[in-house]
Amino acid sequence: MPDIEAIKSEAKRLLQEGVVEVVVAFKPGDTPLHPQPAFFTSVDEVDNLVYNGLCQNNLATFLTRIPKDKKVGMLVRGCENRSVNALIVEKQKSRDDLFLVGIPCEGIIDWRKIVERVGEAVLAVSENDYEVIIETRDGQYSFYKNELFHESCLRCSHRNPISADVIIGEPVPETNQDLANTVVERFDSQAIEERYASFQKEAERCIRCYACREACPMCYCTECFVDHIEPRWTESGATPAGMQGWHIVRAFHQTGRCTDCGACERACPMDIKMTYLTEKLNYDMRKKYNFETGLDIETQPPFATVTLDDKNRFTV
Amino acid sequence: MSQKPKIAFFQCQWCLYSQEDQNWVDTQLPKNIHLTKSPCTGRINPLYILNAVQGGADGVMISGCMPEQCHFKTGNMAARRQLEEFNDFLDHIGYEKQRVRFVWLDLQDRGIIQKQLAQFEKDLEALGPATNLVTRVKIAEGELNA
Repeated sequence: MPDIEAIKSEAKRLLQEGVVEVVVAFKPGDTPLHPQPAFFTSVDEVDNLVYNGLCQNNLATFLTRIPKDKKVGMLVRGCENRSVNALIVEKQKSRDDLFLVGIPCEGIIDWRKIVERVGEAVLAVSENDYEVIIETRDGQYSFYKNELFHESCLRCSHRNPISADVIIGEPVPETNQDLANTVVERFDSQAIEERYASFQKEAERCIRCYACREACPMCYCTECFVDHIEPRWTESGATPAGMQGWHIVRAFHQTGRCTDCGACERACPMDIKMTYLTEKLNYDMRKKYNFETGLDIETQPPFATVTLDDKNRFTV
Repeated sequence: MSQKPKIAFFQCQWCLYSQEDQNWVDTQLPKNIHLTKSPCTGRINPLYILNAVQGGADGVMISGCMPEQCHFKTGNMAARRQLEEFNDFLDHIGYEKQRVRFVWLDLQDRGIIQKQLAQFEKDLEALGPATNLVTRVKIAEGELNA
């Protein structure tokens, strides 16, 4: 666990010395399960800053919503750091206007897994290195952290921020990509009817609220394809074609851009699983183009580059 | 299959170099094949394919130019990367990979497109009609889209 006082003092220093104009981090939310993103512009506000395993948003989402010329300080974990890099590659922000405070991340705790186990009336949550201790009206519960991590975090292979300006806390051990690959391969080994059935089962619960879009750092188009009226690209109602079309194309637009942070899944009010779609695309990008999103701020994603080697790649 | 398979046929307007072939595609296509011409394969948005699939196409065929022969230099190469991946992705969620086929035509090719379409139709007949992902509600005449 990184030291919260160290994060606060770093945030205070950034604001005091005028390195940045705004620090993007978390503050306590309405319930202990939902710390919410916050923008700190003065030193006094920083006392309100929190950071724990339940901070579930991807803060890079707000990078494209802050005016481009502002100098921004941001708390980044491994996935957020890669999202920020991907946004820099897409020229959404200049690296010079950014100060990244890196936090080695053990994993994000999925609040749904807590609610499943103890119900919604949670009074307080605290955590130590191994356990999460939850207080409810009925009493105290404790769970191992590994049980409660979000699926994306369990298969994450970039826990440490890779290009942060300063890193607070000790680096955590990295894992390899085997688990992420296995997840995709296991899904693909099913028969085609089963694959369609599970896709259908997930997509049909969609209410088209677009929370996944709002939570995603890479979804920053000023006008999304589903909002077009003329031409209408896809059915805009909560019809089967509309729901499936949205899930397919939303995922496909993330090809070579998704960092598998899982923010879309955690934001979904209907608890729809959707990282198995983007994870497949990430898997293909790794296998076909040896590309991973956001490892540096120069490499363009595969769909933005064309090489003559492609001649041999695609058989006629 | 009692009816012939429905094929959505996307064609790059530059890919058929022979005038006879282009005339055949323009005027004599069988009724079960729906032609959509685009300025380049690079202009074919994956959404077009998804629309065809959801609208009930049993197969999608895309014809374009060979590498380095694109009218717009690199349009076909970009399309290859995108559409091939989209095909894999559709397979991941339940639309058979064999139902999307690419035909890359060379300058010297004559009469290839007819053969390819006939072969594709035969293969689709073996696969049977598409059921997965066909979800679009049919619009009655005069009604607005959902």
